[in-house]
Amino acid sequence: MFKTEEMEINLGPQHPSTHGVLRVKLHLDGETVTRCVPMIGYLHRGVEKICEDKTFFQGQVWTDRTDYVAAISNNLGWVEGVEKLFGITTPRRAHYIRTMLTELNRITSHLLWLGTHALDIGAMTVFLYAFREREEVLSIFEAFCGARLTTTAFRIGGLREDIPPGFEKQVRAFQARFLDCIEEYETLLTENRIWKKRTIGVAPLNAEDAIALGVTGPVLRAAGSSYDIRKAFPYAAYAEMDFDVPTQTAGDTYARYLVRLAEMRQSHRIVNQCLDGLPEGPVMAKLPKVLKSEVNEVYHAIEAPKGELGYYFIGEKGSQSPYRMHIRAPSFINLQALPKMTEGRLLADVIAAIGTLDVVLGEVDR
Amino acid sequence: MASSLLRTLIPFDIYGGMKLTGKYFGKVLLQSNRGTKRTHIVVEYPETPVTLMPRYRGRLQMIKDEQGEIKCVCCLACEKICPTQVITIEKGKKEGRKTPYPTRYDFEMERCIFCEFCVESCGFDSIILNHQFELAAYNREDFSHGTEGVFQNMYDLTPVGHYSVASEE
Ligand code: SF4
Ligand code: SF4
Repeated sequence: MFKTEEMEINLGPQHPSTHGVLRVKLHLDGETVTRCVPMIGYLHRGVEKICEDKTFFQGQVWTDRTDYVAAISNNLGWVEGVEKLFGITTPRRAHYIRTMLTELNRITSHLLWLGTHALDIGAMTVFLYAFREREEVLSIFEAFCGARLTTTAFRIGGLREDIPPGFEKQVRAFQARFLDCIEEYETLLTENRIWKKRTIGVAPLNAEDAIALGVTGPVLRAAGSSYDIRKAFPYAAYAEMDFDVPTQTAGDTYARYLVRLAEMRQSHRIVNQCLDGLPEGPVMAKLPKVLKSEVNEVYHAIEAPKGELGYYFIGEKGSQSPYRMHIRAPSFINLQALPKMTEGRLLADVIAAIGTLDVVLGEVDR
Repeated sequence: MASSLLRTLIPFDIYGGMKLTGKYFGKVLLQSNRGTKRTHIVVEYPETPVTLMPRYRGRLQMIKDEQGEIKCVCCLACEKICPTQVITIEKGKKEGRKTPYPTRYDFEMERCIFCEFCVESCGFDSIILNHQFELAAYNREDFSHGTEGVFQNMYDLTPVGHYSVASEE
């Protein structure tokens, strides 16, 4: 009776729910998505190429600008990768401070995700509470290194300066409040009937597909696999920390929400352990005046808030900069799962799927 | 089954959420934010000034010593380390001064990323990143800072032109 045909529409690149300049090409049959193609590259700046003619010391500033929500994790990946390339041993105190800041950074990243994802799906209130705490952690970063987002927090071989006076008190004040704050988010969302209707069974991804697509981080752990680089290949001070890797088995949006909330609790635990067991000593290793690389290649992976973040360096003999640098960006690889999660499902679920993948377009396009 | 039916019938979740929202709504309603003690999360900038941490990284500024002399001795370390190459120094001499003197020290703020590498590399403490953060301007020239000619603005805290929100009364 009616003539039906597939319609092709663009979601983005200026759509408020795509968290940046992501364009998704959708083929729709009525309200059902038949094909979904993420189109990326709108934010490409050529970070990997730029870093080839910057020194190892300078290159760190570009890592702030890949995943700008989790800049400290990116800084950590860069400096530890370079340290591995040159065989530099970092003092233990520096490792502890780095671990603490990276975990606080995981909290900010998850809080931003929680706020914006809930806002996309229709829960306005939790956004305000999540940003309240995020603000406080950003002040902690500001106290430590002077910037809130583009931190450039660490240096090759350690830290630029030790923690400032009053820093421990500031972190402890935040730590004392934070568990109650997570309770508040849970009050607003976990049992909320609209939230549950909107997330349970939405955008599922099972462990087999997730592993086949290379998906890592909370999205993989929500599908049942307990792969976490902090446990599998400990770096910084994680080997000395006592924490659990939260997992869920459902693999849907609700499970990912539960995993991320549980991860924030674990991060809170790790920060407490870092504060309690902070060793004395220097924060900077003895370094040669200029770092000259050998022909050598190194891959260093860390568990960024979004998944496995890897830095791959190839050195050039006698050069101060990497011959080639590559970033294995978790957002970029996790975004591949979007067609798998949305095809054959409703258009409205695409928004939930983009939100739950927690992509940052600065990192996808680099 | 029975408990889930009960939960559907009696809206505990709505009650919990409304209680939380009501608690914070009441708190905000009954407290004022204009006093000296901060009670709200929101800062009423620019009416209330924001507090910055001591290590805050703002605009690059040159420091003069007690005699009013520029401390910089043109070692060019900052020029070399700057990742975005926004510092240009011309080495020169000044009468009655033993150490080299920068006849030109240009800083193009529009490309500076406030990383503090220059300050870190300077062994003579002659530059700092000050606490100035209202760095908006209408013209591109206003971002050029230097020590010579019209751009003698490397030394003080003056806002970049008149573009500070706080000063627009
Ligand atoms: S703060 Fe960084 S970008 Fe700005 S002038 Fe100094 S080194 Fe260059
Ligand atoms: S590093 Fe310091 S002394 Fe050397 S040129 Fe720069 S400002 Fe001058």
